[in-house]
Amino acid sequence: MNILAIETATPACALGLRTSDGFEVGWVVDDDRHHTEALTSSIARLLAETHLRVRDLDRVVVDRGPGLFTGLRVGLATALGLSEGTGCALVGVTSLELLAHGVHESGTRGTLVCAVDGRRGEVFVQTFALDQGVTALNDAAVAKPRDVVIEWATSGAPVTFTGDGVERYLRDFAAVPNGQVERQLVPSIAAALSLGVTRETVSHVTPMYLREADAVANFSTRQRS
Amino acid sequence: MALVLAIETSCDDTAAAVVDSALHVHSSVIESSIDLHRPFGGVVPELAGRAHLSTIGPVVRRALVDAGLNPHAPAIDVVAVTSGPGLIGSLLIGLSAAKAFALAWEVPFVGVNHLEGHLFAPLLERPGLEWPMVTLLVSGGHSMLVLQHGPGVHEVLGETIDDAAGEAYDKVARWLGLPYPGGPEIDRLAAEGTPGALKLPISMTGDDFDFSFSGLKTAVVRATEKNPDVALADVASSFQAAVAEQLLRKLRRALEVHSDLKGVALAGGVAANSALRHGVEGLAGEFGVASFLPSMAMCTDNAAMIAAAGLYRFAHGGPSDFSLSARPNWPLSEVS
Ligand SMILES: [Zn+2]
Repeated sequence: MNILAIETATPACALGLRTSDGFEVGWVVDDDRHHTEALTSSIARLLAETHLRVRDLDRVVVDRGPGLFTGLRVGLATALGLSEGTGCALVGVTSLELLAHGVHESGTRGTLVCAVDGRRGEVFVQTFALDQGVTALNDAAVAKPRDVVIEWATSGAPVTFTGDGVERYLRDFAAVPNGQVERQLVPSIAAALSLGVTRETVSHVTPMYLREADAVANFSTRQRS
Repeated sequence: MALVLAIETSCDDTAAAVVDSALHVHSSVIESSIDLHRPFGGVVPELAGRAHLSTIGPVVRRALVDAGLNPHAPAIDVVAVTSGPGLIGSLLIGLSAAKAFALAWEVPFVGVNHLEGHLFAPLLERPGLEWPMVTLLVSGGHSMLVLQHGPGVHEVLGETIDDAAGEAYDKVARWLGLPYPGGPEIDRLAAEGTPGALKLPISMTGDDFDFSFSGLKTAVVRATEKNPDVALADVASSFQAAVAEQLLRKLRRALEVHSDLKGVALAGGVAANSALRHGVEGLAGEFGVASFLPSMAMCTDNAAMIAAAGLYRFAHGGPSDFSLSARPNWPLSEVS
């Protein structure tokens, strides 16, 4: 199976490709360009280097968030264009589960809290149990980092924190006496590729926003053009 | 003959169209999210962005299928997309999808200026248009008078120094307690009223081609406070007449100054307005030039006009690079 993974939920832009003949590559597009400028040209380059065309892809797997809205829009619209344009299958994964699988891969076990920076002083957060597999213990939610820190410090249970939301508020998270931090800024592209193979395909990937649009919009309106 | 797929997502409409190089429209699909915005009295950018993301797939697919093409392997030669001006979050969705379609089909793509798209709309309905012509481009976001020496060769003569005409319509409608969007409501009401019932000033009477509408809105507020008994229809009619009067004065001035003009055209959402359409027809008759009043579907935002402009830009400037970004404030004067 030829599968392309697109990750744009965080300020980084990452791509992955796994081909039916066993080749696999994960690539964090390491430049200062915005997602919209970097993404399509990077996909074109990655495909050209592996002598693949979009129509050779069997699946496109895309991170549907939660994360930064601008990046998610670019990533999702791109994934949608590639799959609509060729009829290849689409798979949606979440940024938080990719973080969890990334930590699981590194061998860490136990309770894991994944946090993606949501800006506005908030993080998108979800708790997982890591044993042989990765199991979500609750639904993804938006929270104040301070509340997450207090909750875990109060519980006293051993916990691992990861994600760019942890990185942003590192001093707070590192201060939890029963906690440890596993640094991971970009949701795992390798995990996106493995989940992309096993997950059910969907006809439409819906973004995980976690915030109401009118709250985001702050009721500011624009004129029609 | 080359076939272009065009995508337009600059504001609240998600649109896609298939047009050929002879400017024959094979399909044109528009999905509006206006119902979501109505309670807020204006377009909420975040709501618009989310709506585009969920509708763009089905809209493009329908445009391809309506044109008799296989959506997964269409015989499209170029993808055109609005890359500005507009709401950044909305533009990004159309732009990203357009790049992906172009990559998937291994065809070039070209970024198009939304305002230039409006200028090309008349060509889709009247291929035999003659130049030079002057176009009054009036919408919720823009009010400008554009001299067109030929297709794609234009010069902005003047534009609004504050609110766009459509913006003034929406603000006055809100003041009068009319539902959003206000333009069609005021137009409907105005038909039952008397234009001179409320005395309103005509601003911008100078020799330039610029407009101003924010003062007019304030004047309506003052006049209705002073004369609370004037019927709503009369207020609507008086306001509409004052807007049309200002726009038509500048159009008349353009016809006087540029005596070689062969035609006048209307473009943009406000071009659907009846007072303006009558006025433009009258002026064209008086100066002996052709008038072009596009159909309603061509006045408002659509992707067929983006296709027409895209074909021109592709033929004259080649494809855009995949690194093209959206330009939310891309002025028409910087298009070449
Ligand atoms: Zn427009």
